[in-house]
Amino acid sequence: MENENFEQRTDLSKLSSAVAQIKATLSKIIVGQQQVIDLIIAGILADGHILIEGVPGVAKTLTAKLIAKAVDVKYSRIQFTPDLMPSDVLGTSVFNPQTAGFEFKRGPVFGNIILIDEINRAPAKTQSALFEVMEERQITMDSHTYKMDEPFIVLATQNPVEQEGTYRLPEAQLDRFLFKIEIKYPSLEEEIAIVTQQHQQKTADQLSDIKPVLAGEDIIALRRQVRALYVEPKILAFAAQIIHETRNNRSIYLGGSPRASLAIVNAAKAIAAINGRDFVTPDDIILVAAPVLRHRIMLTPDKEMEGVLPDDVIAQIIQKIEIPR
Amino acid sequence: MLRTTLLFVFLLIANLCFAGPDTTTVLKKAVVKNDTVAVSKKPAAVITDTTTVEQRSLDTVALNKYKKLPEFKYEETYNGPSWWTRFWRWFWEWLSQLLGRAGKHPGAMSALFIFLKYFFIVAGVSALVFLIMKLSGINMLHLFRKKPYSSLAYAESVENIHEIDFEAEIENAIAVHNYRFAVRLLYLRSLKQLSDNGLINWQINKTNTNYVYELSNAEQREAFKRLTLQFEYVWYGDFLINGEIFKRINALFNTFKSSAE
Repeated sequence: MENENFEQRTDLSKLSSAVAQIKATLSKIIVGQQQVIDLIIAGILADGHILIEGVPGVAKTLTAKLIAKAVDVKYSRIQFTPDLMPSDVLGTSVFNPQTAGFEFKRGPVFGNIILIDEINRAPAKTQSALFEVMEERQITMDSHTYKMDEPFIVLATQNPVEQEGTYRLPEAQLDRFLFKIEIKYPSLEEEIAIVTQQHQQKTADQLSDIKPVLAGEDIIALRRQVRALYVEPKILAFAAQIIHETRNNRSIYLGGSPRASLAIVNAAKAIAAINGRDFVTPDDIILVAAPVLRHRIMLTPDKEMEGVLPDDVIAQIIQKIEIPR
Repeated sequence: MLRTTLLFVFLLIANLCFAGPDTTTVLKKAVVKNDTVAVSKKPAAVITDTTTVEQRSLDTVALNKYKKLPEFKYEETYNGPSWWTRFWRWFWEWLSQLLGRAGKHPGAMSALFIFLKYFFIVAGVSALVFLIMKLSGINMLHLFRKKPYSSLAYAESVENIHEIDFEAEIENAIAVHNYRFAVRLLYLRSLKQLSDNGLINWQINKTNTNYVYELSNAEQREAFKRLTLQFEYVWYGDFLINGEIFKRINALFNTFKSSAE
């Protein structure tokens, strides 16, 4: 909603147009899930990695593949399995008899959009291979550091940890994901729309008609714009207070890290930009609080046994904090 | 019939003739061989130990030296109970005398002693329970009641919108050209007005959007949404506001005020 009394300080027209194009592309295949799509776009604009969780069959992988197709960058997919090794992800040095020396063979992680499917089916040993690349956008191998190309986005999908054959991801890795987005079952109306769409589809490959709508350079430029948005000091304090309270809450065993404070502000900026504002409001902070925090906090064992969810505790924390006004 | 019988006999005989060889093995009788080892018939010689036995005796000097060491003194000397034990013995004797006398005192004194008796018993049991719980790490505060989700108390607002003299404060802000603050006060005044009219439920943890959606009247909701937009641009967005823009915004707020009255 534009304000007639004030002139726009930041030209967000390109960003709005890009967001509209991505949404239009995704809505060709994905039915409903508007908030999920908004959060994925916000995650990309906030320079974050995204973890998508849901039970089998709710189009986690399809959504991630669609995002990758909508952006014209190098895309690679890694299917995580229990026997996957770190070198299968990062790459390895191979002896070349012709040169009589070792050569580094780059692994699939070298790309712009990396889809890690079923990430929690690989054990902690393989997960730890992602620590450096996710945080520092580089890989150190044989005393040599390889920088990743920008943009570098990890889109990971996982089944809930209660499912058979899954591992709980290490806390250090979870903290590196900006958002954990939960995909729920569709409503009845959405389910009908999904079935109808599938029934009317002419080709077997759903993604064959999807064309890229955004280049890698566009993402870099949009990210720069998002980073420059204004955040009132009281709103920064509000975000920090939410994270701080997760460390003092009796229901929480492990609270949010300072990285979570940064994440909540960056994500709120992206949401503000998607909504056409160049400043952040408390609503933006509240909107991103649960996706930013739900995978970062660990509830106490008794709360877990009672069936309390991280989202419930986060909501209660926010309820206790005064809105800056 | 005869032919059939003859054929049967013929086949039987033929079968017997072509039967396989008997594979039963016959054990050969084992041959017993005699032991031919020669046995010596010489008697064994007895060897006598001729070494002299040297008798050894304890080194009394060393023994006395060890005996003097405190580590090897096993006799326990008892010097009577320690002062701490004596104190407690005295205390319990004094207490038992005091409580024993309770029955002899009539009226209030007797009641006091009975009270003291039970007080000490309860205090003793409580101290024991406290010690056990402390050692086992049980949080007593949450033993009998459900733990709250958060220890965080409501952060008390510095300002209470029901106590602010909005008209005076707004005039002061305009007088010093602090239009940003004036817009904030105008917005808070609108919230107070809606709260006073029972249209919204004022809570410090609600966002502006929450209040917008609390308004059931669509026209009023749209008007308040517009005011919220002005407030957010000025207060959260830090947009520069001059006297001209403020006049327009002030007019919006005043229109809303008069329509909501």
